[in-house]
Amino acid sequence: TAGNKIFHFGACRVSMSMTEIRSGFTAIKANIQSRDPIRSLSILSHPHSLHKVKTSDRCCITHHLFDFYVDKVFKHCKTEDSFVNRKISSIANSFLSVRRRLGQCHEQNNCVCGEESTEKFNQILANYEGLNVTSAAMKSLGELDILLDWME
Amino acid sequence: SGELYCSLPNPRNVRFESLNMKNVLHWSAPEGTGDGVLYKVKYSVYGVGKWIRKPECRNINRTWCDLSSETSDYEEQYYASVKAFLNGMCSDWMETTRFNPLTDTKIDPPMVSISSTDKSISIILTAPEKWKRSPEEESISLLQVYPGLQYNVSVLNKKTKKRWFFSISNNTLVVPWLEPGTAYCVSAKIHVTTPLLDSGFSKEQCIATLKDK
Repeated sequence: TAGNKIFHFGACRVSMSMTEIRSGFTAIKANIQSRDPIRSLSILSHPHSLHKVKTSDRCCITHHLFDFYVDKVFKHCKTEDSFVNRKISSIANSFLSVRRRLGQCHEQNNCVCGEESTEKFNQILANYEGLNVTSAAMKSLGELDILLDWME
Repeated sequence: SGELYCSLPNPRNVRFESLNMKNVLHWSAPEGTGDGVLYKVKYSVYGVGKWIRKPECRNINRTWCDLSSETSDYEEQYYASVKAFLNGMCSDWMETTRFNPLTDTKIDPPMVSISSTDKSISIILTAPEKWKRSPEEESISLLQVYPGLQYNVSVLNKKTKKRWFFSISNNTLVVPWLEPGTAYCVSAKIHVTTPLLDSGFSKEQCIATLKDK
């Protein structure tokens, strides 16, 4: 469909409705980020930037991150604003199908996890677990553009 | 630092205005304050705790501050903040929303150069460059920043008023099978699908195809 983008991670090919996800996030970005008062901590980009991940580790990190967003982020991001909630669930649905595809790649051994990507992802989990669940989930959602920028 | 009592109204509408990643902090003066208000500015990298003062924007009376150099790494995101001073009083620090240079910048239209034969027009498009600190610094085209960058080109036959639109990824377009001795006007814009960014259209340029030999 229009706005779908094919991502190549070695032998793993994943189609993703990037335009739809981006526009959904842009619509709620200011709202979500305003709920995150903590400037000194980033879940995804500090201390290690996603942009330093080796090409060979990209698939594994992406697979971990989609699991992370589906299992630990979206479900903890309920707001009092139905518009925002609808956008969040639309993004979550898009993530679900990509996660499924990445899972298949992993099973087919096309999405191997090296030491560095495991370490990087553990750092992300440590950042996440350093906050209470709701704050951590809201901060992670507010950083979705960091993930999308890196993927692209 | 001599800040006595922070009851001065706050600077308003503190935000980044960015064009081709020239990132300038802008704000409006506090309500009801006339001349004489001075400001200072600080910024921070999101995820890093430190606020950093901008010396060149300390005790300034203008309502903007160029933070392009400090925010040039577009893999990072930023906050900036402004405080106002007047007659020994001060305001609170007023912050921007989180600024992502990659998605929050605006883009200039492309440069367009055109030439013609008797039956065709050739159009060469050049994407604008990312802001850079000095002319000596290496230029980075926004094409390198946004790999999915496309050009939308409009070609108008001035005689028949017929208009064509083309969407191309490379930077050259040849429009064939045109009428000799006819004026055509060309305008182009940049479109990035994701993140979604659109420039305005370039100024229309007209050229005539050569008369029949």
